[in-house]
Amino acid sequence: MTHSTTTRRANAAPARDRRKDSAGETAVPWTQRIFAYGGFDYPFLVLVLVLLCIGVVMMFSASYVNAANHKASNYDAFFYLKRQAAYAVLGIIIMLLASKINLAFLRKAAVPVLLLAFALLVAVLVIPSKEDFKRWIYIGSFQFQPSEIAKIALILFFAYAMEKFQKPQFTPAARGAGMLPAKTFAQRVQRFWARWNGTILYVGVLALAAVLIYKENHVSGTVITLGIGAMMIFIGEQRIPLWFYFAATAAAVAVIIAVLKKPDLLPPHAAERIVSFLHREQDQSGDNWQTIQSLRTIGSGGLLGQGLGQSRQKYGYLPEPQSDFVFAIVCEELGFVRSFGILLLYVALVWRGFMIALHTKERFGSLLVMGIVLQVGLQTALNIGVVTATLPNTGIPLPFFTYGGTALVILLGEMGIVLAVSRVARQIKL
Amino acid sequence: MAIWANLSNPNKRKAKRGPGKRKQRRSDRLYERSIIVLIVLVVLFFGVIGAGGLIKVQLVNGAKYRADAEDTQLRDTVIAARRGTIYDCNMNVVAESSSAARIYINPHKIAEEPKHAEVLETVVRQLSQILEISEDGIRTKASYVGYGYMAVKYKVEKKQADAVRKFMETELLTTNAEGEEIRRKYSEFVGVDPDVIRYYPMKGFAANVLGFTGTDDIGLAGLELYYNNTLTGTPGRIIAAKSAGETDLPNQFKDINDPVQGTSLVLTIDQAIQRYLERSLEQAKIDAQAKAAYGIIMEVKTGAIKGMACVSSFDPNDYQAIADEAVRQKIQAIPDEDERAKAYNDAMFTQWRNGALEVTYEPGSVFKTITASAALEEGVADLNTSYTCTGAIQIGGRTIHCHNRNGHGTQNFTKGLMNSCNPYWITIGQKLGLEKFYQYYTAFGFTETTGIDLPNEAKPKPGITFHTKESMGIVELASCSFGQSFEASPIQIITAVSAIANGGKLMRPYVVAKELDESGRVVSETKPLLRRQVISEATAKTVAGMMEQVVSGGTGKNAYVAGGRIAGKTGTSEKLSVGRGYVASFCGFAPADNPEIAILIAIDEPVGLINGGQIAAPVVAEVMEDVLVYRNVEMRYTEKEQEELGGVTPNMVAQPVETARTALKNAGYSVRVIGDGASVLHQIPESGQSVPKGGLIILYTDESEASRTVTVPNLLEYSLSDASYLAARAGLNIKLVGNFESNHLFTYHQSIEEGTEVPLGTTVTVHFLSNNGILDR
Repeated sequence: MTHSTTTRRANAAPARDRRKDSAGETAVPWTQRIFAYGGFDYPFLVLVLVLLCIGVVMMFSASYVNAANHKASNYDAFFYLKRQAAYAVLGIIIMLLASKINLAFLRKAAVPVLLLAFALLVAVLVIPSKEDFKRWIYIGSFQFQPSEIAKIALILFFAYAMEKFQKPQFTPAARGAGMLPAKTFAQRVQRFWARWNGTILYVGVLALAAVLIYKENHVSGTVITLGIGAMMIFIGEQRIPLWFYFAATAAAVAVIIAVLKKPDLLPPHAAERIVSFLHREQDQSGDNWQTIQSLRTIGSGGLLGQGLGQSRQKYGYLPEPQSDFVFAIVCEELGFVRSFGILLLYVALVWRGFMIALHTKERFGSLLVMGIVLQVGLQTALNIGVVTATLPNTGIPLPFFTYGGTALVILLGEMGIVLAVSRVARQIKL
Repeated sequence: MAIWANLSNPNKRKAKRGPGKRKQRRSDRLYERSIIVLIVLVVLFFGVIGAGGLIKVQLVNGAKYRADAEDTQLRDTVIAARRGTIYDCNMNVVAESSSAARIYINPHKIAEEPKHAEVLETVVRQLSQILEISEDGIRTKASYVGYGYMAVKYKVEKKQADAVRKFMETELLTTNAEGEEIRRKYSEFVGVDPDVIRYYPMKGFAANVLGFTGTDDIGLAGLELYYNNTLTGTPGRIIAAKSAGETDLPNQFKDINDPVQGTSLVLTIDQAIQRYLERSLEQAKIDAQAKAAYGIIMEVKTGAIKGMACVSSFDPNDYQAIADEAVRQKIQAIPDEDERAKAYNDAMFTQWRNGALEVTYEPGSVFKTITASAALEEGVADLNTSYTCTGAIQIGGRTIHCHNRNGHGTQNFTKGLMNSCNPYWITIGQKLGLEKFYQYYTAFGFTETTGIDLPNEAKPKPGITFHTKESMGIVELASCSFGQSFEASPIQIITAVSAIANGGKLMRPYVVAKELDESGRVVSETKPLLRRQVISEATAKTVAGMMEQVVSGGTGKNAYVAGGRIAGKTGTSEKLSVGRGYVASFCGFAPADNPEIAILIAIDEPVGLINGGQIAAPVVAEVMEDVLVYRNVEMRYTEKEQEELGGVTPNMVAQPVETARTALKNAGYSVRVIGDGASVLHQIPESGQSVPKGGLIILYTDESEASRTVTVPNLLEYSLSDASYLAARAGLNIKLVGNFESNHLFTYHQSIEEGTEVPLGTTVTVHFLSNNGILDR
C-alpha cells in the first residue's frame, strides 16, 4: 500500500495552495476552485454501478405485476422501470458531475445547504397536505423528501464544522480558555463554552433536525438521522470520552430490552405498536401483514431462489413489492446465496468508502465520505432488519433498490461526492 | 493496534515521520474511531441484523415460511382419472365413462363484489338459460355466501359447458377494493370443473351385476362397487401457483402428475346369453305374475358366469328411477307423502338388489340331486335301492307328506329323482345319517359363500339360515334331505349343481375374466378356481345321467330341448320362513354327457301355476336352446325329432315354376305358387332356413305379388295337431319345440305374437309343454 504522493500529483490538477484558496485570493482560475481534478476511485464507482444495475433490474422484477394491475401505475408493467431507469440515468450524470466538485466549494456550501435543509424541514410541516404524514414536498410533478436533503446537509455540515472547530482545540489560546480558572459564573460559562462549544453545536443541530423530522411522523428518518449524527460525532468530535458512548449504548440497550419486556412503560400508542410487532402472528393486519408476507417471501427463496422473475409473492401477496420490501423479492428470486452476495456488495461499498475516507488527508473530505457511506450502510442494514422482521416495520428504503426517483438522484449525487473526495485521497486508484 | 497497523494508515505513518505531529496523532483519533464505527457497522448492523436476519428467515425458518406461502399461493387441482370401461366377454362395451363438466358458482366472491346485485342477476339468468335449470335453485345456492364453491349442475355436456365458458369471458365494469375502476370477468364468479358421466349403453343390461356409480364417480352397487378401486384409477394433480387474486400465474411452475386411468374389466358375461336370459326371465315373471325372478347361467367347467339377471331390474343410467311401471304407479298412488317417499325408497333398494346372490330361499327338490350324490358317493344307496312311496312317511313321530298324496309306489333311485318323491329322499337322507349328510351339505358349499366377485353375497348364518350339525335332529335331517328348512342363494345352488355337472369339482363362480390397463394390456386374468372335489367323477356322471332322465321323462320334462340333452331338477319350495308363497325353480345343465352350461331359474312367489316343472323348466329350455345354438353345441336329435325338424329349404329362385314345384313336392314340402310368372323370383322361407317336414313353401313369380302377408293367429293352449292345422290354414309354417316323449302336450308360447302381419310362409316357432307328471308339490 505504499505509494508516493508524486504518483497522485502527476494525475492531479495543477498544485494549488489551499490556504490561499480559502483566503479568497484569486491566484487560481475559477474552474479550479469549483472543479476537482485527478482520477477518482474506480472500484467505488464500479460498486455503485453494479448495485444500481442489480437494484433497477430487481425493482423492475418486483414491481411489474403490481404495476400491471393498478391504476396508480396506469396498468403499465413498465411504469416503475421507466421512471426508475430515467432517474438512474439522470442520477449517473449528476454523480459524474458531483465527482468533479472541488472540496473547497463543498466547504462553502455546507452552511447554506444546512440552512436550506432546515427551511425545507420547516416548510414541509407548514405546507398543507392531504396525507396524514407530511414527508413530501411537491414541486409540479417533482417530489422529494426534505429529510433526504437534511441528512446530506447534516453530513456536509458536520464534516465542515468538525474540520473547522477541531483546530482551535489545539491552539494555545483555546487551550488556555479551556484551562482558565473559573472563579466567576461568567468565567465558568466561558470555560464551559470553550470546552464544549463544538459538542453543543453538533448535538444542537442534530437534535433540531431530529425533532423536525420526527414532527413529520417519520420515525425511521429520525432514527437514521440520529444514527448518522451520533456516529459522526463519535468519529469527529472527540471531546466526549469513549466511556460515555459505552454507557450510553448500555443504557440504550437496557431501555430497549425493558420496553420489549414491558411495553406498558411507553405511552399507549407507542406501546401498541411494540405489542403488535411482538405478536404479529396474532394480529395480521396492516404493517404486520406486510411483515408476515415479507417473511414468507424471503423464506420461499431458500438457498438458491425461485429464479429471476419467478417470484410468486409479488403476485399480490406482498404489498407494494417495489418499495421498502423489494429486498424480500430479491431474496425470493435469487435465493440466500445471491442475496447474501448483494449484502456483501454493500459491505464492500462501505468498506471502500471508509478506505477512501481514511486515505484522505483533509478531515472534511474524510468525514464527508464516512458520513455518506454510513448513511448507505445504516439504511441497508436497517432495511434488511425490517424485511426480516428483526426490526419493526418502519419505512426505510433500500439504497439503489427501492423505487423512488429523487431519492435515487440524491443518493447518486452523494456517491458523486464520495468520488470527488476520492480524487484527493492518497490511495491506489485501480 | 496491530490490526490497524496492517491496514493502511498513511496519516499515521506520516505522523510518525514528522516532528511535532505526535500530539496530533494522540489527540485526533479519527482513524481509530472510524475503524470502530466501521466494525460496529459491519459486525453489528450488517452481520447481526442483516446477515443474521437473512440466515434466520431464509435458511433456518425458511421451510416454514415457504410452506406458509405455498399454502396461500398454490392451487391443487385434481384431474379425475377416467374410470375403467366394462366389457362383456366379446369386448362389447357395457359400461363406459366419458368426460363432462361441472358448473359451479362462487357465492363468496359474488357477495363481496361491489355490484353484487347486478352480478347475481346476470349469473342466475345466464346459467339458468344455458343449463336449463331453475333460477330459484341457483339463487338458493348463491345465498351460501360463506362458501367459495357451490356446484350448480353436475354431468354437464360439452356444448353447455362451452356456453358457460363463453359467458365466463364476458366482462363487467366495476371497482376494486381500493375504489379504482377495473374490468372484471365473470370467470371470477362462475367456473367449470371437469366431471364424468358413466354411460351404460345397453340401458338395463345386466344392471344388477354391473351396479352403478354415484355423482362423484364412485361405485355404489354391483361390480362398480366391488371393483371400485380397480376401476377408479389414480387421479392426477396439477399443482399450480396462483396470484392473490386467484388468477393463474404466467410462466410459473406447474407440477403435473398425470392421472392413471382406471383398469378396465372384461366380464365372463356374454351379451347374447345375458340377453336371452333377461328376455326369458322377464316374460317368465309376467307369465307367473311373480314377485321376482332370478336367473344365472354358468359355465360348469370354470365357474364363469355367462349371464345373471333379476327382474325387475333398473337402468343404471338413471338408477333412481323405478323401472317397473306397475311399481311406479303403485307408489304414485300412495296419498301420504312420507309413506310415498318410503315406498319409493324401498322400491329403489329392491330394484338395485342382485337377487341372484343376495336373496335366499329354500332350494326344495333341486337339493335332492345333492342328497342323491352324497348317498351314491357314500354307497348307502345304489341305483337299485328301491322304496315304496305311500304318500307320507313317519319321521321322529311326525308325518311328512309327499306332494303326491296317493304315493308314487315303488321306485328305484332314478325314478325317485324323476318323480321328485319326498319320502324316497327322506329315507335316503336317514340312511346317510346326520354326520355324512352334513359332510356333503358343507362340501357342496351350503354353509359358506361361493366367493363370487360381487358384493353383498348372502352369507349363510348358522342356526338361522341353516341347521348346524348340533341343532340338526332326524326331523331336520328329513326336511333337509328334500331341500326344505334351510335357505340358500341362487348362486350357491347353481354352483353346487354345477359341481355334479363338472365331475364333482366345485368351482368358485366369477364374473370378471380379465383386467385391462389403459392401453388394453391384460393386467390380470382370473384363473378358474377349483374349491374342492366334492364327489367322485363316476358318481357325478351317474347323477347327471339321472338328471337327464328327470328332463326326458320326469318332473323336468318341460325343460327338454330337442337334441340338447338337458339334465336338471325341478324345485318347488314353500317359503316356510315367510309363511306363504312358493319359489318355483329349475336348475339344469347341458349337454348331459359333457356338460358345458348350467342354468338356474328361480321364480319368486308365482301366482297360479307354482311348480318348478311348470313355470321354471320351460324358461330353462328356452334359454338353454338359445345358448346351445349360440355356442354351437352339437345337437343330437332322436329320429322323431329329426323328422319334425325337417330339412333345410332348397334354393328355387330363378328356377322355372314347374321344375321348382315338382322338386319341392318330391322333397315332401307343400308348395303354393303366387303370381303368373314363368320362373321363381323369390321364395319364403328363403333358402337355407329350416322348414318342418311337409312344411309350406311359397314361390313368388310376380313382382306385383311380392309382399303378400297374413295375420298370425293364436296358436296357444292347443294340442300340437290343432296348432299345426291352424298354422297351415293361415299360410304359416310352424316349428314345434318341446319334449315329444311326453304326453298331454299343449302349446304355451309362440315366437310371433297373435295378430302380427307377417309374409306368407313365415315360420312361427311354437313351444309346447306337458302338465302331466311334472308336479313335485
